[in-house]
Amino acid sequence: MGNSVAPEHTAESGTVAPAEEGILEVKDLKVHFPIMAGLRRHQVATVHAVDGVTFDLRRGETLGLVGESGCGKSTTARAVLRLNNITDGTVAYKGVDITRAKRRQMQPIRKEMQVVFQDPYASLNPRMTVSDIISEPLKVHKIGTKQSRLDAAAQLLETVQLSPEHGNRYPHEFSGGQRQRIGVARALALEPEVMILDEPVSALDVSIQAQVINLLQQIQDDFGLSYLFIAHDLSVVRHISDRVAVMYLGKIVEIATREELFERPAHPYTVALLSAVPIAEPRGRDDRNPIVLEGDVPTPVNPPSGCRFRTRCWKAQAICAEEEPELIDRGQGHPVACYFPEVEFAEEVPTTSPKLETSE
Amino acid sequence: MAEPVLRVVDFKVSFNTVDGVVRAVDGVSYEVYPRETLGVVGESGSGKSVTVLGVMGLLPKPAGKIDGGEVWLEGENILNLSDKAMQDVRGNKMAMVFQDPMTSLNPVFTVGDQIAEALQIHNKKMSNADAKARTIELLGAVGVAQPETRFDQYPHEYSGGMRQRAMIAMAIANDPPLIIADEPTTALDVTIQAQVVEVFKEIQNRTSSGLVLITHDLGLIAELADRVVVMYGGKVVETGTVDQIFHEPRHPYTLGLIMSLPRMDQQMKRLRPIPGQPPSLINLPSGCSFHPRCSMSGGRAMCRDEVPTLYPVSDDGHASACWYHTEVAHELEIEAALTGIEYSDGKLGGA
Repeated sequence: MGNSVAPEHTAESGTVAPAEEGILEVKDLKVHFPIMAGLRRHQVATVHAVDGVTFDLRRGETLGLVGESGCGKSTTARAVLRLNNITDGTVAYKGVDITRAKRRQMQPIRKEMQVVFQDPYASLNPRMTVSDIISEPLKVHKIGTKQSRLDAAAQLLETVQLSPEHGNRYPHEFSGGQRQRIGVARALALEPEVMILDEPVSALDVSIQAQVINLLQQIQDDFGLSYLFIAHDLSVVRHISDRVAVMYLGKIVEIATREELFERPAHPYTVALLSAVPIAEPRGRDDRNPIVLEGDVPTPVNPPSGCRFRTRCWKAQAICAEEEPELIDRGQGHPVACYFPEVEFAEEVPTTSPKLETSE
Repeated sequence: MAEPVLRVVDFKVSFNTVDGVVRAVDGVSYEVYPRETLGVVGESGSGKSVTVLGVMGLLPKPAGKIDGGEVWLEGENILNLSDKAMQDVRGNKMAMVFQDPMTSLNPVFTVGDQIAEALQIHNKKMSNADAKARTIELLGAVGVAQPETRFDQYPHEYSGGMRQRAMIAMAIANDPPLIIADEPTTALDVTIQAQVVEVFKEIQNRTSSGLVLITHDLGLIAELADRVVVMYGGKVVETGTVDQIFHEPRHPYTLGLIMSLPRMDQQMKRLRPIPGQPPSLINLPSGCSFHPRCSMSGGRAMCRDEVPTLYPVSDDGHASACWYHTEVAHELEIEAALTGIEYSDGKLGGA
């Protein structure tokens, strides 16, 4: 890791320059789920799935949201779409608070905020033709006539590089990659401004994955969309994102531009996560020393006090258990939720005695 | 060179389905040497898993059928062995680690009992106390913390990564000369995958077993494999050392895989996907089954009509099943320029 990247490469990454305006602003978002037990179904505990997440999505940019299973990245996405209840905090779309918006108030906003799910096998109704699937959002929002909706579906199929003749077929006649294109076409039907992509390529083979990634980048260029891109595959996130937020156990631990995050990760979890990804380069593999974290992610039912990563962190000190580190810039140029962030990213195996570089 | 632990020769497997006969594996040959890790890559439906299921004698019956070929394990052709004799071979001479650690352990027995069972089945004289002691030692060896306590726990008390460690402990229990791992880390998170990769590296260092690592993850291949077999449509299309496969691919499909992969170590300008869809095994394209998706074929009759065989491209085992493998180096240069991957002198990533 750490090959220097020529800046001209990153400039050609295929997305429009992000404006500084946030189209979607999420502040201190909390989503807790109750655990019920007993005959009376009383609440015995709480799952802190998302526990105070703050970020904004800027116009025309791709914000990558990464983390391991159970870190709350999908729950965050669903909360933003108001698909599950928000316990606390606010979600604002174009400056309008939609945290408690009623169904009817949400309807025009849903038109502008669309979603593509991970599993192209489960997210398409097997009894509907592809044309009906793609034009259904138009029908729901009572847009156009039956004929105009079918025309729109044919056009959308071309946009996602399928043939309009495919419209009369059923989902089972398509491969995974083609189904994901259908899912993208459906999301595009209402001409949204924001697309939430929840693991859109995870279920696809490598060669097909690249087809869908390129399609998503093309569509973003053509329609000026903003993407919230959720994935656990860091190499995909690195390729497609302008900025990246790293989540751990319901919290964002670091948020930065792609270059910053991948070249100068500051949070120990980010450092460990990046070093754990196998690199598709056999040369020099014996010299690579991945930081292998011990143990597993703790349960979100009863997260550790203070910093949630401290139980697996090689730098943890007393203060980490006592007080939760805020997500602020500690001289890294980007916000990090750690008392002892990496000052500069050194490729070395962590020693048992943690360095004490307090930059506060 | 030492004798190979496993030698698969012209292996053929077919399945009878309602839609017709599917030739899932069509003339696959490869060998694995002691202390070596052979990576097998390919997309879903390439036949990479079916090949090893056939080797293990675990093909679903009666649908799956071995149509021909030989499988030599430590100098013995095991294809003609009875089911009873195969049971002695499995677990003792070759063992397998499957993808899904959730379903490969029995939920009603403790993890310790299941590993001890694997020991005692192949060594009837082993006492319960010895089996327990050895199991605890094995659990410790694969990095399960507090193995004494963990011995008495049930699979549901283990996390995903821990279960996969237990599966590996079971696989190495009898020191088999051959270990087959089918997508062993696909179901795991990145940091947990790194832990399991370390376990495999440990095993590589400590035992003289040969390891067959089946995965679609080229990163894992680059990390662990010594030699690589690339499969497509039930056939081996390229084989070589891990360095040759990643730096001097000589089959357009291998080249396509590398160019379509987003990388952690370089920022690519753009990805170059392989067009089209993986082939249906029921209705494989004529000639080279990759030709409809191939950027180099260009409608040439040879690709359309003649099935290419693996042809050596160097004298150290690098072989490609492409009629025009001599053109791949040139194609590599063009693709490297388009993706932004470093390239020089016929090779990716510089000389």
